[in-house]
Amino acid sequence: MDPTTAMYVAQGLHGLAYGMLLFLVASGLTMVFGMMGILNIAHASFFMLAAYFSYQVLAFTGSFWLALLLAPVAAALVGVLCERFLLRRTHAFGHLGELILTVGISLVILEGVKVFWGTESLPIHVPPLLEGRLALGGLDYPIYRLFVIGLALVVLGVLAAVLYTTRLGMVVRAAVSDAGMVNALGINVPLLFMFVFGMGTWLAGVAGVAIAPILTVFPGLADQMGMDAFVVVVTGGLGSLWGAFLVSLILGELNSYGVQFVSQLAPVLMFLFMAIVLAIKPMGLFGERE
Amino acid sequence: MTRRAVRWLAGVAALAVLLAYPSLFGIYFTNSFVTFGIFALYAVSFNLLLGFTGLLSFGHAMFFGAGGYGTALALTHLKGLPLLPALALGVAAALALGVLLAPLMVRISGTAFAMLHLAFGQLMYVLALKLRTITGGEDGIGGFPIPPFSVPGVLSVDMKTPANFYYFAVAVLGFSVFALWFVTKTPFGCVMVGVRDNPNRVAYLGFRVPHTKAVVYLLAAGSAGVAGSVFAMFQNLVSADGALHVFVSFAPVQLTMIGGVGSFFGPILGSAIFGVISELTSRYTERVELVSGAILILVIMYAPLGVIGMWHAARARARARFAPRGAAEPAR
Amino acid sequence: MNVLETRDLSHDFDGLQVLSHVELGVRRGERHAIIGPNGAGKTTLFNIVTGTYTPRGGRVLFRGQDVTGAGPHALVRLGMGRSFQITSTFSRLSTFENIRMGILGRRGIRFNLLRRVAAMPDVTREAEEVLRRINLTAERDLPASLLSYGKHRALEISLAMTTDPELVLLDEPTAGMSRDETKTAVELIRRLTEGRTVVIIEHDMDVVFSLADRITVLHHGEILATGAPEEIKANRAVKDAYLGD
Repeated sequence: MDPTTAMYVAQGLHGLAYGMLLFLVASGLTMVFGMMGILNIAHASFFMLAAYFSYQVLAFTGSFWLALLLAPVAAALVGVLCERFLLRRTHAFGHLGELILTVGISLVILEGVKVFWGTESLPIHVPPLLEGRLALGGLDYPIYRLFVIGLALVVLGVLAAVLYTTRLGMVVRAAVSDAGMVNALGINVPLLFMFVFGMGTWLAGVAGVAIAPILTVFPGLADQMGMDAFVVVVTGGLGSLWGAFLVSLILGELNSYGVQFVSQLAPVLMFLFMAIVLAIKPMGLFGERE
Repeated sequence: MTRRAVRWLAGVAALAVLLAYPSLFGIYFTNSFVTFGIFALYAVSFNLLLGFTGLLSFGHAMFFGAGGYGTALALTHLKGLPLLPALALGVAAALALGVLLAPLMVRISGTAFAMLHLAFGQLMYVLALKLRTITGGEDGIGGFPIPPFSVPGVLSVDMKTPANFYYFAVAVLGFSVFALWFVTKTPFGCVMVGVRDNPNRVAYLGFRVPHTKAVVYLLAAGSAGVAGSVFAMFQNLVSADGALHVFVSFAPVQLTMIGGVGSFFGPILGSAIFGVISELTSRYTERVELVSGAILILVIMYAPLGVIGMWHAARARARARFAPRGAAEPAR
Repeated sequence: MNVLETRDLSHDFDGLQVLSHVELGVRRGERHAIIGPNGAGKTTLFNIVTGTYTPRGGRVLFRGQDVTGAGPHALVRLGMGRSFQITSTFSRLSTFENIRMGILGRRGIRFNLLRRVAAMPDVTREAEEVLRRINLTAERDLPASLLSYGKHRALEISLAMTTDPELVLLDEPTAGMSRDETKTAVELIRRLTEGRTVVIIEHDMDVVFSLADRITVLHHGEILATGAPEEIKANRAVKDAYLGD
């Protein structure tokens, strides 16, 4: 492979890695929207929280693998508590009240992590196994990013298996595409909400831990990811997992190659893409609802 | 004494306190008051959308920032620009942005309205950071001249003196708040509230809902622009983080919810309460948002109509005790 | 002469045919009832005629003008008014403020930002006059949501009348009312619609036969019959499809 091609391939892989992580975050966001009708402003905060938890687990145990296992679960636990004790009890002005509540949650989490961990960025060291670079026919690529792509694929495989082969998955899909329907199925809806919310925050948490070694852990971590995930969900069509998947990958590549060619305006490309899609399909690529 | 006379006296007393404020409380609290006034107007303009028309915006900072950048750019590039035209250019920038967005925004509501504003607000933030040659990037625009308030041949008042700027700010902000309050009392104000409660019925009474929303939208944009413009001159600085960040968009949400979304004066009260809280908490921690975020959660859960809503409820309870058959008053 | 006409009106929702080739003619000054079983397309017909939906096919004529696809506000300004099956008032506003909204609409005071509404004695007087006529003076300052069901429905019906429409479309005005409330409502409708043309969707056959001059029967989105109450009662097809129980 000549250097130019290698560079393009490397950028493509960068984009793929980011796109996959983006989808891990966006999938939870779109599922929660599909079911509850609100876009959870605090969703990316759980992503960030997981990154901080992983730092803490690493500090205590020194094991990245343990952090990868525990931190997302801990973040999901916080998410479930927020759903159970805050969101579920908010009835003022319908969705607007819930939306405002998620703003409050995101502020508290953001400021909370500053209180506990300070404002400077904390480095995360990956195990020796994942360090270094892989040389492959002219391509020289960091192993950790390949691991991230693989990890995301595994998680998505499990997610797909749960959603498409189990009865629980069927119910979740039904709830996401038509929240009114599950009422008719005679299912414990509050429990289902809590489950989906927990699953969504867990997925975001996995992404948070995975991204931490690349970007380090800092309070602004949620900003970029939150906005990107939001664009993914709106552009892909609210409540549509396939739309979110497709747009995540597109945005990942758009970001990656955008930085390469028009570095100044790369963040604007994303909005441009969203504007074009919404101008043609106001409900998003696969959206059926407003 | 008649009710009218009491009101008149209260008005005169309030005016007297406002006039004497700088000499009574000193520079620090004079500046605190200007900050309070700026955010009060900003929150009131936000609540014109949320409380009166039922539209929740997560991107109101766009207009605040447009006002600030408009004025700052005008003062940087136009030599000898007087004070009021500088203010007007800031407001014009905010209005122009409003005119640009209104055709899209008046056709949506609810979650879509909130989220699209979040997106556009974020876009403005990114643009302000990236278009460095115009906006100064992360540093923003600062150090521009603050012209004196002058009537040619009559007087010229230096605006770099905190007390003088205080009088200018209070006059501009006070007039803007008054104008918005007045609008809520006009027939158009009735229609606004109608759109909030039942847009469909409003249409079936012969009103055009999108046109009505467009006018409210521009009123909110313009008055947020006033607040932003005064803010830029007050700080002699406008920056992406200070005027366009998503936190600046969330601020009026907090102020309004704390004070009371259902009342015109709720956001003002909220700004005052928030001012006191941040004054007190900032002595112990830099993390003022932690406290205000927690308060926001508590308010949404336990007092969704804010402090003014609690006051109304308490009064209704007291009245019910004394006059058991009296009808409950709606919190508005 | 027909105030309202539909020509070859058809509509479907995602391919599900709701109205096909409906030719409705409402004469000036008459009270015209539209009856038919649930799902016959009555409310859809109302929604098309009053501008909520644009029909997939056919045209709507109001006072001789083609108004197909015109929005509600335009139709209201031409002299149309409607009430809803599910009460649609301004629930957080007082009864007085509800009526006043309609008065502002009738007077075309839409973008006045320069005068206080409280300083418009004509508007206030007119709204209070309406309240007197519908016996809601005592509830003047009560939020609409706190009115009793019957009174709330009365507000709903009279709200449709505040714009002084030539043609009023009432969608099941007595739905969910007790016998007594229905009687009062029918009286109110009679009184308020004096001199207006009325189209009314109604399930209560007593109300239909006591109010209507003519009746149109809608069945599976098609007009089965139109005629005077006696003709409809005697109509074989109608009996088979609807009345024959």
